[in-house]
Amino acid sequence: MTLANPNEMINHKRERSTFSALNWVAIRPYMMIFPSIIVFTLFFLYPIGYMIYLSFYDWNFISPDKDYVGLSNFTALLQDPKFQQVLRNTFVYSFATVSLTISISLLLALWLNKKGAMYGFVQGAIFSPHIISLVSISMLWMWIMDTDYGLLNWFLNLFGIASIPWLTDPKTSLLSLIIVAVWKGIGYYTLIFIAGLQSIPKDIYEAAALDDTSKVRTFFKLTLPMLSPTLFFLTIIGLIGSFQVFETISIMTKGGPINSTNTIVYYIYENGFRFFKIGYASTAGVILLFVVGIFTFLYFKLLSRKVHYQS
Amino acid sequence: MKRNPIWTAVNGIGLLLLIFIFAMPFVWMISTSFKTLGETMTFPPKWIPNQLLWENFSRAWNSGPFLKYLLNSTIVSVGILVLQFATIIPAAYAFARYRFKGSNFFFGVTMVTLMIPTQLIFLPVYLQMSSWGLLDTLWALILPFASSAFGIFLLRQSFKQVPEELLEAARLDQASEWKIIMKIMVPMAKPVLITFGMFSFIAHWNDYFWPLVMTTTDASRTLPLGISKLREVDGGVAWNILMAGNLILVIPILFIFFFAQRQIIRAFVYTGVK
Amino acid sequence: MAEIRLVNIVKKFDEDTVVNNLNLTIEDGSFTVIVGPSGCGKSTTLRMIAGLETPTSGEIWIGDDCVTNVEPGKRNIAMVFQNYALYPTMTVRKNIEFGLVNKKVPKAERESLIREISEIVGLTDHLDKKPHQLSGGQRQRVALARAMVKKPKVFILDEPLSNLDAKLRGQMRRELIQLHKRLGTTFVYVTHDQVEAMSMGDQIILLDKGVTQQMDSPMNMYHDPNNVFTAEFIGTPPMNILERGHLNTVLPTLFENVKYVGFKPEHAEIIGETEERRTDHVVLQSEILTTETLGAETIYTVSNVAGMMNVKSFDNPITESNNVQIAIPYEKLYFFDEQKERIRFLEIDRAVSQPKPAIVGGV
Repeated sequence: MTLANPNEMINHKRERSTFSALNWVAIRPYMMIFPSIIVFTLFFLYPIGYMIYLSFYDWNFISPDKDYVGLSNFTALLQDPKFQQVLRNTFVYSFATVSLTISISLLLALWLNKKGAMYGFVQGAIFSPHIISLVSISMLWMWIMDTDYGLLNWFLNLFGIASIPWLTDPKTSLLSLIIVAVWKGIGYYTLIFIAGLQSIPKDIYEAAALDDTSKVRTFFKLTLPMLSPTLFFLTIIGLIGSFQVFETISIMTKGGPINSTNTIVYYIYENGFRFFKIGYASTAGVILLFVVGIFTFLYFKLLSRKVHYQS
Repeated sequence: MKRNPIWTAVNGIGLLLLIFIFAMPFVWMISTSFKTLGETMTFPPKWIPNQLLWENFSRAWNSGPFLKYLLNSTIVSVGILVLQFATIIPAAYAFARYRFKGSNFFFGVTMVTLMIPTQLIFLPVYLQMSSWGLLDTLWALILPFASSAFGIFLLRQSFKQVPEELLEAARLDQASEWKIIMKIMVPMAKPVLITFGMFSFIAHWNDYFWPLVMTTTDASRTLPLGISKLREVDGGVAWNILMAGNLILVIPILFIFFFAQRQIIRAFVYTGVK
Repeated sequence: MAEIRLVNIVKKFDEDTVVNNLNLTIEDGSFTVIVGPSGCGKSTTLRMIAGLETPTSGEIWIGDDCVTNVEPGKRNIAMVFQNYALYPTMTVRKNIEFGLVNKKVPKAERESLIREISEIVGLTDHLDKKPHQLSGGQRQRVALARAMVKKPKVFILDEPLSNLDAKLRGQMRRELIQLHKRLGTTFVYVTHDQVEAMSMGDQIILLDKGVTQQMDSPMNMYHDPNNVFTAEFIGTPPMNILERGHLNTVLPTLFENVKYVGFKPEHAEIIGETEERRTDHVVLQSEILTTETLGAETIYTVSNVAGMMNVKSFDNPITESNNVQIAIPYEKLYFFDEQKERIRFLEIDRAVSQPKPAIVGGV
């Protein structure tokens, strides 16, 4: 009798007198999901399988023959010092970007989580880079980070610091990309943290105030634990996103100088489209798939545990 | 509690600094786009150009088939949006409201798709498109996004919240399933649909990666790609032209953002949290 | 003709039998109330009549048509839901109009119907508002208007008043009775509230665990219950049911089958502790536990050898002492057998004098 009764769902497929009508009711749900499932299968699921298949072959895209090479793509790739550097770059970039973005935006969220037009404006301003095309962001920052005429070096000069060849020095190139990523990501993360902060019930703060809890203690004992699902979500999503960084590299550095900013997706792109090493590129893709898969799995694993706690 | 005037001043300066850090690059972009090439190469840099060089915009615009790019961008973004609405609404309704054999399996397929980023699969999709002869066509830019696992996920949540009684009332009112979807479910899920629509439109309008991979000629290039090609115009980098071109790309989005800031922020934050 | 007949209706959800072999006839033009505790199958029965559930077996007839497998929209039935189920994105006008548009009623006719109906329910000024702008009572009226506008053969109302506050509920109750008189259509009304059932229905169907307990007019329901279940369901407070075994000292020997004895709270009289024994009465030495003063009447909860029971009195509340006697006349006693079924035509033989009067009985 309750609305939640699952049997009511079955009863929506109302029996009709004729056989064909009955059939239509039975196939209707399949018809409704069919277009989407086709799209997902053709453009997401099948390609994954195809990519895994290709990783066992040596193929240059043009020749009609694919040579089966077993796991040799994997061994060659993992022994390749260039790919090792690519992996290192990807991980350094990802962990630095995510840890910096999260810590800065958490602080900003605590600061900006206030009512008022001024705070609304600031929130909007710091969010704005998130909806701008990465093409424009990359070009803008290339210009800002220009060694000779760039704005950034001018500021450093104002404080008596010598100009830095941001994008052209292998020592600073990856850092430059991290700065851009943090600048772009902060606003989005801050607003999500603010949403997280606002979903914390006010009464627990009132209870804490009545218990004469200090501000610092309130933050570490109440706010942070309550924010932990958000924190966790942003970390995983941020890492998965950063592993796939491509646009800024493609526009700002092209993986250089001397491979210092080459990361996995750019490496796949280079091998596939410039060197036509399809098998090799697919293998790198499989490795990325594996890494992303681990993090996704981790996310759901911990998420389900978290949900379990609450219920 | 924080009535201390020093605190208030520090807070205010902090906020201004924050705005400066995030607004300065855009101001710099605007400023550069009006400069002469010579003015871009001064150090210390000039904030305000001697005169507003409007012709930078026309030079940027005329340096390539930008009308074509704009048209392609519009067709792709709007086309994707229309197709997505057409596919995700019935799918979300089926997942939310029907019980059928394999529904869990198919929803699982959808969720797996949600986890697969396009950056992972571009190579095999490229090969596929090439074998179908769709490379360098707008189809290659539209079809892979003709449905959205994310959209189905969001909309299904929203459809599930509609009370069963409402559908029963409609059935007693002789409404067909189609009518129930269009007249009751969709209007009730309007906020979610708008949210998703903005999200999808902005993402595909801005997209650089997929068109870069799938197109080879101007016939199917989109605006972000066209802008990124500006660099190669004169050999050397003409920052003033480059910034003018980027401004053309950025202005529409900033303009929409200015008027629909609240909705856009909610769209992104909501879709992020959920 | 829109008589509704349910023939051998069984409804199972998986292994749960919610309605078990139900047979009932709802007369044309009647105001029939299906009442029972939650989980008794009343809403399921209603939903089967509406076509929102399909019976596991059995047949449903409306007039001369077997509608068991007919779609809900095609049964010529209108339903008012407990939560009104108004379409939240449509205005009041569109809500009322929705079913008419689906039935392809021409625009001009639709408009005159809406005008007519909204006048009857007093919504004329609110036609362009959305449901969330209306009060609970107004939403209720929209739900009614939406049902009425279709001019159905049968109105089905599923606990339509349960979301209203007490005062409004009373008012809507009266309005619904008037509406029924005015329309002359069959009303099928489901509620768990026996007061609603008694005050509105001209036919009451009392269900428990998917089985009909009694199908009768309100007054028969009250005065002539078929069994302990009916007796304990109807009345505020309901009948007191005592175990025969506890009454051995105060009641003459009864016909053997009698297992339970019942009396209505309003049929007992409270008399002073010291007052003379009355003849032809069951007299119980009692202690008052609680006193609920309702103004016109007072309800006492008393405790005695037979357990706890309610007594209703129209006199001023007793304040002097908690120790009283309660007296129930023999002719106001109801008798039930081991299966809790009523034993009728049982009379206490007054000719035999105390202390051990005999009982003659017949079934």
